[in-house]
Amino acid sequence: MAQGSAFAAGAPAGPSEDGQWTMPAKNYSATRYSGLSQINAQNARSLHPVWTFSTGVLAGHEGQPLMVGETLYVVTPWPNVLYAFDLRKEGYPLRWKYRPDVSSNALGVACCDAVNRGAFYLDGRIVYNLLDGHTVAVDARSGKELWKTTIADTGNGETVTMAPVVVRDRVIVGASGGEFGIYGWLKALDLKTGQIVWTGHNMGPDADMLARPDSFKPPYDGGADVGARSWAGESWKTGGAPVWGWISYDPELDLIYYGTGNAAPYDPEARPGDNKWSASVLARRPGTGELVWAYQFTPHDNWDYDATGAMVLADLGIAGKSVKALVHFDKNGFAYTLDRATGRLLVAAAFAPVTWAKSVDLASGRPVLEPAKQTGVSKGKVTGVCPSLEGAVSPASPPAYSPRTHLFYTSTNNLCMDYGAAHASHLRATPYIGVDFAYHPGPGGNLGAFIAWDAASGRKAWEDKESYPSWSGALVTAGDVVFYGTLDGWFKAVDAHSGQVLSKFKVGSGVVGNPIAYRGPDGKEYVAIYAGIGGDWALLAGDTRSDDPTDVREPAEFMKDLARHTSQGGIVWIFGL
Amino acid sequence: MSDPWAIRPSHLLAVFGCLTLVACARSTPAPAPGASQAPPAVAYEAHVAAGGIAPAGGALENPHAGDAAVAKAGEQLFAAMNCDGCHNPGGTGWVGPSLSDRRWRYGGADAEVFSSIYYGRPKGMPAFGGVLGIDGVWTLVTYIRSLPLPSDVPTESWEQP
Repeated sequence: MAQGSAFAAGAPAGPSEDGQWTMPAKNYSATRYSGLSQINAQNARSLHPVWTFSTGVLAGHEGQPLMVGETLYVVTPWPNVLYAFDLRKEGYPLRWKYRPDVSSNALGVACCDAVNRGAFYLDGRIVYNLLDGHTVAVDARSGKELWKTTIADTGNGETVTMAPVVVRDRVIVGASGGEFGIYGWLKALDLKTGQIVWTGHNMGPDADMLARPDSFKPPYDGGADVGARSWAGESWKTGGAPVWGWISYDPELDLIYYGTGNAAPYDPEARPGDNKWSASVLARRPGTGELVWAYQFTPHDNWDYDATGAMVLADLGIAGKSVKALVHFDKNGFAYTLDRATGRLLVAAAFAPVTWAKSVDLASGRPVLEPAKQTGVSKGKVTGVCPSLEGAVSPASPPAYSPRTHLFYTSTNNLCMDYGAAHASHLRATPYIGVDFAYHPGPGGNLGAFIAWDAASGRKAWEDKESYPSWSGALVTAGDVVFYGTLDGWFKAVDAHSGQVLSKFKVGSGVVGNPIAYRGPDGKEYVAIYAGIGGDWALLAGDTRSDDPTDVREPAEFMKDLARHTSQGGIVWIFGL
Repeated sequence: MSDPWAIRPSHLLAVFGCLTLVACARSTPAPAPGASQAPPAVAYEAHVAAGGIAPAGGALENPHAGDAAVAKAGEQLFAAMNCDGCHNPGGTGWVGPSLSDRRWRYGGADAEVFSSIYYGRPKGMPAFGGVLGIDGVWTLVTYIRSLPLPSDVPTESWEQP
């Protein structure tokens, strides 16, 4: 790769920094940390757009591009077009684009907009998921389809929005459908052939979960068939626990980590018990799928607190010892630091207003519940539950971790809710929900914030308040600059030590995607981000949509003016100095 | 509903049966003609006709049109069939389009709405005719056609008047 003279102007990147972005979260540890340092706190004010591209798609642009060699790869929301841009040529023309045939029926089975959270590159292949339940591998050089495998059944409420992770020759994928009462699972496909190698369910009998008594060692709640026994009757069969977030991997321990979504339906009285392993983190062997440990953040989920947010792997100094940690910011408002070898809980502290629990007990690993905030049909409308079911952070908005500052950086939401559970009936391929809810601004009135978090001590280092819920992922670089976008369409660069805004630019639509940094063929550092409001905001703030004259929506009750600042539309932005 | 958390299609028929009985008891609708057969295709009135000549289409009449009691039963059915999960309670729109704004992709006449529910539509509307049957679909049509119009269509303003 060419390295221009401008490269020498910045502080040297670490020797392991190749300047690329080949995985959804930059690396297997999911830190979203780039070792590039050309853009720093002194020069970030000079950041400006150098290129834009309209994807022509209006749904929410979650996820992030990939940058491999001299090519930028972009996956759009449904219809899931894959673009390959040639960064060597002026204007970055397309090398090719790949347009798969994706069923529009899937749009009615996707709970919350037709999003896609990105692709993975390995060994000359781009691998990603299609909304209608397929995984595809595409030749990264030619754009030719190598294989296409059916992994999920839209007729049974399953769609696929998550970004796969490839470990050695295993493509790891999961399905959305926590609002359709699916029987949640994780699958591995062979990278070369696309054949399904193993399927491990997230609940149910041990055999379905690929859990063996001699090797499955959950640190707290174990026992034979706990994934079935902790659900009343056979409610585990329609219990949700989808996989729509992120997967990380520790090569030394040879464990993959992923979070599971909410238990279905939203009325917890329909499924007495802990409902393991919904709203949990699971650790499996990538080769065989074997379950090694699991930890449940929200037992007997009462509030739609999916745990599908990223599991970030970092080695932290805790109480004077270096710990192989896993850090997770949960929808339920607590940030968890676990021992990633065992799943044992080390630190748990609220990073946003929480009323459903008083704390998390480190000895038992369980939340200390607030009785007045437990929900169910018999309890009627339960008011003042914080966080809202949008989460204290959206799992779609992954954090970043800097080994230089030892801080985690994450978007947060400051919303509370009234939650009235209702009876739900399971009818294949229709929503299985059962709730009547309303949102309210949390304490302070600002609807969101972007924060820096010390996961060793469970303390907030700084906070930038935002007028609206903060829904973008985070990026941090060796230049000690943090990047994120806002729902009203600002893309910001802030100081990693203080949160001070160094630069901001209005990018045309609200940001629900994740920034990446890379070194271009010219040797210069660039930052790329999607604009394109959507995801839950296509539903909640329906007036940000103008794409269908036969469908006119009201503004969000708790946020009537968002559409004053933004509207739909996917744009890829690249910024440079 | 002894186990409401795991209702199977067989249970759903029972749920629907109850609702239909309620509707039947209150309005004693005439049985739909040829209730065991699929209805004929319905012409969509808002389509532009090539050559200015509208094609012939099947005629479907809602046996419950304007019946408030059936509309009430339809509201229960709207929840029981999980219609509210996509279209929101009150049909104000969620992942699926609003059904209350008097704007229609596939026509808003009773027969057109019937076709949309019975056979489904592209972009994700499932076909409910199999699980609901003809009279069940008419019950939903009657409810949907009774929904009140939202207040802020078509202009939304943030300026102080």
